[in-house]
Amino acid sequence: MSHNPTLHLRDRAKIAVKDEQMRKAVEKAVDRLSGNRLKAEIEMPSWDEWREQGKRIRKHTVNHLDYYLGQLAESVRSKGGHIYFAQTAAEAREFIIGICKEKNAKLIAKSKSMVTEEIHLNPALEKENMSVIETDLAEYILQLAGETPSHIIVPAIHKNRYQIAELFSAVAGEKVEPDTPSLTAFARKTLREKFMAADIGITGCNFAIADTGAISLVTNEGNARIVTSLPKVLISVMGMERVLPTFEDLEAVLSLLPRHATGQKLTSYISVVNAPRAKDEGDGAEEFHLVIVDNGRSKLLADEEYRQALHCIRCGACFNVCPVYRQIGGHAYGSVYSGPIGAVITPFIQDDFDFWGELAYATTLCGACSAACAVKIPLHDLLINIRRTRVELGLTHPLEKIGFRMWRRIFKIPGRYKFAMKFGSIAQRPFMNDGYIQSGPPPLANWTNSRYFPAAANKTFREIWQER
Amino acid sequence: MKNKERAFLNHVAKVLGRDKPLLKPPKRDEVGPPAFWKEQKFEIDEPLEFFKRNLENLTGRVYIAKDSADARQQVNAWLEELKASRVIMWNHEELKKVVDIENQEIKVDYWTANGPKRKMIEAAEQADVGITWADYGIGYTGTLALFSSPIQGRSVSLLPTVHIAILKKENLVPTMSTVMRDIIERRGNNNVPAAIDFITGPSRTSDIEMDLSIGVHGPVKVWVIVLK
Repeated sequence: MSHNPTLHLRDRAKIAVKDEQMRKAVEKAVDRLSGNRLKAEIEMPSWDEWREQGKRIRKHTVNHLDYYLGQLAESVRSKGGHIYFAQTAAEAREFIIGICKEKNAKLIAKSKSMVTEEIHLNPALEKENMSVIETDLAEYILQLAGETPSHIIVPAIHKNRYQIAELFSAVAGEKVEPDTPSLTAFARKTLREKFMAADIGITGCNFAIADTGAISLVTNEGNARIVTSLPKVLISVMGMERVLPTFEDLEAVLSLLPRHATGQKLTSYISVVNAPRAKDEGDGAEEFHLVIVDNGRSKLLADEEYRQALHCIRCGACFNVCPVYRQIGGHAYGSVYSGPIGAVITPFIQDDFDFWGELAYATTLCGACSAACAVKIPLHDLLINIRRTRVELGLTHPLEKIGFRMWRRIFKIPGRYKFAMKFGSIAQRPFMNDGYIQSGPPPLANWTNSRYFPAAANKTFREIWQER
Repeated sequence: MKNKERAFLNHVAKVLGRDKPLLKPPKRDEVGPPAFWKEQKFEIDEPLEFFKRNLENLTGRVYIAKDSADARQQVNAWLEELKASRVIMWNHEELKKVVDIENQEIKVDYWTANGPKRKMIEAAEQADVGITWADYGIGYTGTLALFSSPIQGRSVSLLPTVHIAILKKENLVPTMSTVMRDIIERRGNNNVPAAIDFITGPSRTSDIEMDLSIGVHGPVKVWVIVLK
């Protein structure tokens, strides 16, 4: 599944719902993750107060992003780190390739990072004849399979252990047994060798700390710790909103992130890299580069409503409660970021409300995402906003416009309304079944193809009212 | 490069409705965790109870030693149990007073300031057990906090199959807040360590069919001796 699909959302979803194995795996994963989050909620005192505080911190930071990014740049530089601001994905790629070439890099070890997926970094590095190895177990599996993440927390949930064993066996040149311990042991051994040989480490960044100039990485496997500890050069890439003012704020956000993601009190590792290694230190990077990427984020920032999407701490809780994600999985979204938050930010990142704005229809608007969000982003409101923006941009189907214009004309005048109701209750008869319109004529078919339309009653409410 | 940065920050300021980027720290009402969290009080032994319970829930082990001799004995007992043949430890004065490896067949390497870098990393990679002196233990989550320094190599707690940490009871704190305050204080003195690692149990993953698997990249076991 690629990040530049040619099929439209509807057709991608049609393919996805036929993939029984994937749907079972997604269901199991989201139920487990959501269940764990709910258990954590019971255990944690004043859960809602924490979320409210998380929202306050993120809102303040995003509203003053110019200050905090400036402060972060100064802090990083003051300790001998390098900082680079990239307006576009291409600029970010160019800069990173530049460093890797300068260092004559042959092998690059990466830890999981959504923003490097977003800027399509790996293919660009490979084009320059550099080997890139993903070291997060799930990302390693996907790299071998030539696929992309389908969930931001558990990227390879759509793959089962038999498929994984096949991929690993091909690398090993012998059979790797399809059980979790054998598969994990194979990955540990293979990736260890890569870690020891890598010239450059590339990571994402969960949160940078503006007043100190540190970055933090939240992982369970520890691969990000190795990536930041062994190679001599470290490049960290972050979306420009991934910043917090101080370490105290990091504590607040860390109290929310793992609990909302997997129900853990804390992940196994929180790795904070503050500076290049000190002179006498035997490990850690000697050279540190931080790349800050806009790539459409300033368009979200420019609008006070959409800006809230930048509060996101990437816990994935919205994926796990979304009834649409549950049915179609991540790949049907076609974008790097899937799920409800992906549907909101992708039209901005891709700068395309026509094709990518379609994702705003991959929702039932039930609001479960907003209710689960660690920092209370009103995700379903933002999805409605995107639909509105599409109407304003004239991107919706002309029939939709005609339909709503007709609806307005009819509903404005009681006589017309009465006639329409009467006409409707007769005209619907050929399409009715069991009190519902189950197969309408076009353009109504667009609706009835995926759900039933409640039939108009024989007697209208007004008629019943008058009889009393 | 500087021009690019200026243009970038100017653009961010502009979309936020400012003529130019803010240079003075903006006013804040709320910083860090909620007020009730910062004000909570703990009984003296509570952090230790929490620490033990939380780490044990994550398959860790916690041994409470009444003195250095007791701790020394326990380290040796654990090394026996693990059938360790190679150990690497921080060249840390206090740690060396507690750890005295009796078994002469165990090869012991030290992580030293200005040591042979590649050799030390390789020794850590080959070691069965890495022994560290934790800067902090955090009761609420069962977490160790390690600060990097020339003698406190990151690889020692990362590459061996087992990580044993010695933690003084007075460095066991109830929540992460104390550690964060320490870092902020160090920031004022310009001596924040190059790396700060919060370690909560062994390395783990659920990436294959949501099936929990321990020890994918880092240590398979994290055992702690709390020194009274």
